Amino acid sequence: MIRLERVRKRFGAHEVLRGVTLSVRAGSTLALLGPSGVGKSVLLKTLIGLLEPDDGEIWVGDLELGGASREAAESVRRTMGYVFQYSALFDSLTVAENILLGLDDRAWRPESPASRARLQECLRWVKLAPEVAPQYPAELSGGMQKRVAIARAIVAEQRYLLYDEPTAGLDPLNAENIARLIRRLQRELGVTSIVVTHDFELAKHVGDQVAILDGGRIVADVPAPALDALDHPMVRAFRHWHQRAEVVG
Amino acid sequence: MSLDLFIPPPPSNVGGFGRRTGAALEAVGAATSLAWACCRALRRGRDYLPLAYAQVWDIGIASLPLVLLVAMISGAVTSEQTGYQYTSTLPPWIVGSVITASVLTELGPLSTGLVLVGRVGARFGAELGAMSVTEQIQALRTVGRDPVVYLVLPRVLGALVAVPALVALADAGGMLAGWAVALIRVPITTSEFAVGARAYFRPFILYLSLIKGAVFGVSIAFIACAAGLRATGGAAGVGRATTMSVVVATVVMMISDLLLTRLLRVFG
Repeated sequence: MIRLERVRKRFGAHEVLRGVTLSVRAGSTLALLGPSGVGKSVLLKTLIGLLEPDDGEIWVGDLELGGASREAAESVRRTMGYVFQYSALFDSLTVAENILLGLDDRAWRPESPASRARLQECLRWVKLAPEVAPQYPAELSGGMQKRVAIARAIVAEQRYLLYDEPTAGLDPLNAENIARLIRRLQRELGVTSIVVTHDFELAKHVGDQVAILDGGRIVADVPAPALDALDHPMVRAFRHWHQRAEVVG
Repeated sequence: MSLDLFIPPPPSNVGGFGRRTGAALEAVGAATSLAWACCRALRRGRDYLPLAYAQVWDIGIASLPLVLLVAMISGAVTSEQTGYQYTSTLPPWIVGSVITASVLTELGPLSTGLVLVGRVGARFGAELGAMSVTEQIQALRTVGRDPVVYLVLPRVLGALVAVPALVALADAGGMLAGWAVALIRVPITTSEFAVGARAYFRPFILYLSLIKGAVFGVSIAFIACAAGLRATGGAAGVGRATTMSVVVATVVMMISDLLLTRLLRVFG
């Protein structure tokens, strides 16, 4: 389970998170919906420790990260995988090296038999051919890069997955495939996930639960099937935009 | 579409001196905490030493031709100038002393440092800057890898080992070129050159030359890494980090050269 209590984060004079309270059940997926620039990515980065919250509590399982020792917090954070918006693959490393960098192996031996076996397993999970392993990220399409980023996030058998705009920049077919992959990883690996997105349809498709972040606060938190019926200005705006897009399409 | 659209706007002067001073102090603070993080990470040799070895190769071997070329030209020009200026009034062996003094104390380390600021400092700043703006540094943290251990320490230690070695070779190349030009242009015999060189040479001068190399190497690599890690804002941010690496490393190198030369006067 992941639980945030009154989390605040400020950059200079601008308070991005103004007391966010949120919880995600173990083994479920929360889709965090909201327009660009409201602090969705900041929330994820605060959760994984890339940013320090100014106030509030972050619980992962039974541990409150702010009150825990540095080692305990680090140990919990190593059970989290993070998929960056633009994949953030290391362009000087091959696909295999990128994925295996996520292994909890301080000596980092990408050539060891155990590492090779785990690599093949991860490539199968994200439906990439073994031939991709020696290639460099620049040689891959955006959708394939995203799959490599997901493989890197699950390589150490992480229990929590955080996705930052996982379908950003992808064509509809690739976006659909990534959405299916997120669902499958949750179903078959039992991971607890948070998917940050501004895509209304993706949120409904991948989320068991959908929360809306606006003005630095969670303004709605409902089961995904109830999202359509939610009477909230942002949901109405999303719905209206989506209907127009369908008409134009 | 007009190409003007791709030219970044000039830096804003809003806030002027106060804003710039604040930014400079912030950068110094960040560099200090990076230096402290490097010291704390030194015990993790198993993680960074293999990567540092690769950097020694990359900085040392790959820079050698350019370093030697610049040092040899510097030595040759010094020899030519000394021969022209001094030999009508002073004994010819003085050329050996002047070349030994100028190559070992200044030209060898400084020309090597300036070559490496451009070749290595700019590359480190751009590499780490590009990694910062594409979130690769953050990605490294999320997979449990410390950027200081995996990116900064290998580069700094690689420079610490490679640059003094390059300076030693630059010293030798500069002396050799100076001697060769002296033979042809002054003219002077090899034994006269050797007398002049021995009259000035003391082991401390050679040590100082190598110490300068070590200080320059660490400064260039560290400043470039610090600038790269602080890069923000896409391609323009990478450009700023690269420029910052070159400018700050050059200034720091010159100031440390002045201080180390002062040491020569005090202890030499």
